[in-house]
Amino acid sequence: MVYTPYDFNESVRHRTEYIEERLRDGSPVAGISYDGGVLLLTLRRTQRKIFEVYDRLMFAGLGNQSDLEIIRVGAIDFAHQEGYARSPDDVTIQRVVGFAISPGIKRAFGDVLNAPFVVRALFAEMGRKPEEDLFYTLNYDGEFVSLNWAAAVAGTPEAEEQMMRQLVPEDAEGAPDLQTALRRALRAWAVGRLWATDMHLQEEGAESLTEERIETFLREQLQDLQVEAAILDRFTKRERKFRLLKEDEIRPILPE
Amino acid sequence: MALLRAHGLWREPEVTPAERVVPAVQEVHGTTVIALKYRDGVLNVGDRRATSANAIMYDRAEKILPLDDYTLIAIAGSYARAMEIVRYLQHSFKYYARTQLQEMSLEGKLAEVSRALAGNLSMALQGIGLFIPVVSAYDLERGEGRIFFYDGMGARFESVEFGAAGSGSERIRGVFDYILKTKGPFHEMTLKDALRESLLLLDIAADLDSATAGIEKVLPVARAVTSEGIMDIPEEMLSDIRASLRR
Repeated sequence: MVYTPYDFNESVRHRTEYIEERLRDGSPVAGISYDGGVLLLTLRRTQRKIFEVYDRLMFAGLGNQSDLEIIRVGAIDFAHQEGYARSPDDVTIQRVVGFAISPGIKRAFGDVLNAPFVVRALFAEMGRKPEEDLFYTLNYDGEFVSLNWAAAVAGTPEAEEQMMRQLVPEDAEGAPDLQTALRRALRAWAVGRLWATDMHLQEEGAESLTEERIETFLREQLQDLQVEAAILDRFTKRERKFRLLKEDEIRPILPE
Repeated sequence: MALLRAHGLWREPEVTPAERVVPAVQEVHGTTVIALKYRDGVLNVGDRRATSANAIMYDRAEKILPLDDYTLIAIAGSYARAMEIVRYLQHSFKYYARTQLQEMSLEGKLAEVSRALAGNLSMALQGIGLFIPVVSAYDLERGEGRIFFYDGMGARFESVEFGAAGSGSERIRGVFDYILKTKGPFHEMTLKDALRESLLLLDIAADLDSATAGIEKVLPVARAVTSEGIMDIPEEMLSDIRASLRR
């Protein structure tokens, strides 16, 4: 039998379908810059989802747990080797994602004899000012995109678009405070999840995403999921800038 | 260390056979560092001089460094080796916490310091690269500050009230005991009192040891570790206390 370019295209299509089907149900992750740092937020069952990578770098994603773990450990290994061999200033999101992680994911995706990564990942880097913060989203095929102010990963690209509208409203000016950022991120999460999983919604269009519908959906989801939010703190004097937010810091933004 | 070794980033100190010992490089040394317990944790103070033989190389040396949010290391001796190992320890603790998703235990951190010192031994035996650390930590489980001092081979000892290292520290050993016997234990002192005593100790060390800068020309570095993490003592506070000592 001869392996033709047609077979290659076909196998890529199959892989894409397989991965996207499995990602659709994943819990989205919202990332947003605020005046005092960078925030990542998601909802989870029991397993932790947001992780510190390096002094000014954190990461979260959706998809296969063990695939995410491979990316997490790969990123941490690279960051610490670089930070030790050169300096912490040489560990940047662009090098970690673009140089250390993305090529391996691309390779796994193109290698038809091996399982691809089932992931969409979101990396965040804190700068000295909100406008210097950077987000990278990384797809299962190794493609990555860099963004300022906010970023999202969700079950489908359309759902990510809808999330971005919530994260950066048209009337938004400058960096929000932590409370506002948390509220926007939580709404964005709900919208992203709804959009990826509710077929009717996609037909009805974004107008049908009323305040009430989002609230009801969130209340429903919070029955068996809990909010996980982590920050990189711009102004802390601590060695570790990364911190998971405590329950009492999250409670004020939850629907009653 | 395994990770760094696998990628060729960890440099083992090289051993020169005894008969080929070359005249020692004139290396830069840090001089006197002091660790005192006080009411809220442990206070570390160090003068800022670094010397090479009898030359003063630098008068802005930082010899009190945070290893993580609850651990301080104060170093005396070979500046080059000490800085490299401090950098290694900082990365090692952070790497552990980030990959394992839990903090390394205090015992684990202390053992890692011992290992680093033992790894340094072959150089130290040739008369180069020896440094002595004093590690101060806030033990969150016990709710108290703790001080550990080491020898050049990596033996670790826990100290009840104070620790010190460096050329000036030997000269002032008796002063620590004098303060303990006349003014009571350090761990009951307020930050201000402990600071006052430690600046006085540095001042005496500078009088007795030519390699110690003391407190007059440049303010010492002072850091404390408490249940809240690491705190840099502000310069104004140090200069006020220094002024009150001049009489």
